[in-house]
Amino acid sequence: MSEYKSNSPEKTMELGQKLASMLTGKEVIAYFGGLGMGKTTLTRGIVSGLGGEDVVSSPTFAIVNEYKAKYNVYHFDMYRISGWDDLYSTGFFDYLDNGIIIIEWSENIENALPEDIIKIEISKGNSDTERIFRIEGAEV
Amino acid sequence: MKIFAVDTSTKCASVAITEDGVIRGEFFLNCMLTHSETLMPMTQLLFKSCRTAPAEVDCFAVNCGPGSFTGIRIGVAEIKGMAYALNKPCVAVSALESMAYNFQPCDAYICCVMDARCSQVYNALFEVMENGVVRVCEDRALSIEELTEELKTLDRKIILVGDGAELCYNKMKTELSTVELSPENIRYQKASGVCMAAESKYNEGKTLTSSELMPTYLRLPQAQRELMAKSKNK
Repeated sequence: MSEYKSNSPEKTMELGQKLASMLTGKEVIAYFGGLGMGKTTLTRGIVSGLGGEDVVSSPTFAIVNEYKAKYNVYHFDMYRISGWDDLYSTGFFDYLDNGIIIIEWSENIENALPEDIIKIEISKGNSDTERIFRIEGAEV
Repeated sequence: MKIFAVDTSTKCASVAITEDGVIRGEFFLNCMLTHSETLMPMTQLLFKSCRTAPAEVDCFAVNCGPGSFTGIRIGVAEIKGMAYALNKPCVAVSALESMAYNFQPCDAYICCVMDARCSQVYNALFEVMENGVVRVCEDRALSIEELTEELKTLDRKIILVGDGAELCYNKMKTELSTVELSPENIRYQKASGVCMAAESKYNEGKTLTSSELMPTYLRLPQAQRELMAKSKNK
């Protein structure tokens, strides 16, 4: 497990770009952590690190956003997913192994996550702007 | 009788036309492209290559499930649309049953398994006799563990088929000496198998109108478990 501290959106972007350089195309990246933690910013960093130019936004309403980059990136928000039938009908299982999967609100589908994943737990640091990223499954 | 069939129930996609049990043409792709990109061009090219017009087709068939949520909807939508436009009957086929048609009569159980994720599979067992494919059990969704226990009670060779075959074989081989992995060339369901299965259903009068044709989804046993992990579910 590795830990990374960020004091600004720019630093969070940097972490995303570092992560991107380690990806091989089929990883599942699961975020844990509430609102305003920088999940979308981190995703922006990953997508830009993969050379993608698409606008990254939180898929709260669409459930899944797709970004074209070196690998296809599928960005899920599981906030409104409350059962297996819900999850199945998002097509989540169809996306696995077809690109990079990034999941916000992984808490809601924890029992459906595959075994080999990159887990990123985000929490507040000492100051209002500080964020701590605890990363399992990848050495950043 | 001409049958046109589609399978998009997994990552593979295929289309086929048969005429009185003879495969006139078939396209099969397993190249990670999405069905929405490949299915219509394959369909168009198949009809063109076979010098057949869609209006000559007597029956439209499709694998209605189980399988990929999106995949099944794409296949069913295409067949529904064509059958509706031409006012022709449809036949719904089980993806598991269609793959049993890859086999010649043999002294073994054909154990069809599709990966349903989270260590679960969609499964049905078949026997292939001189007079055709015989179903041994209904389509169901169960854990690989449960299936392994059940297969232990069978006293004949078991051939694993489908996109979950390799997964099951690797988990079962140490405990079960009766299981065998099917060769790659007959591992997956194909539209020609859908045509074969549809032909016998058609002859039994099991046809549907385009509006009656629907996807068939099987409820996974995990549905009884919490989706949220216990630790977080406060």
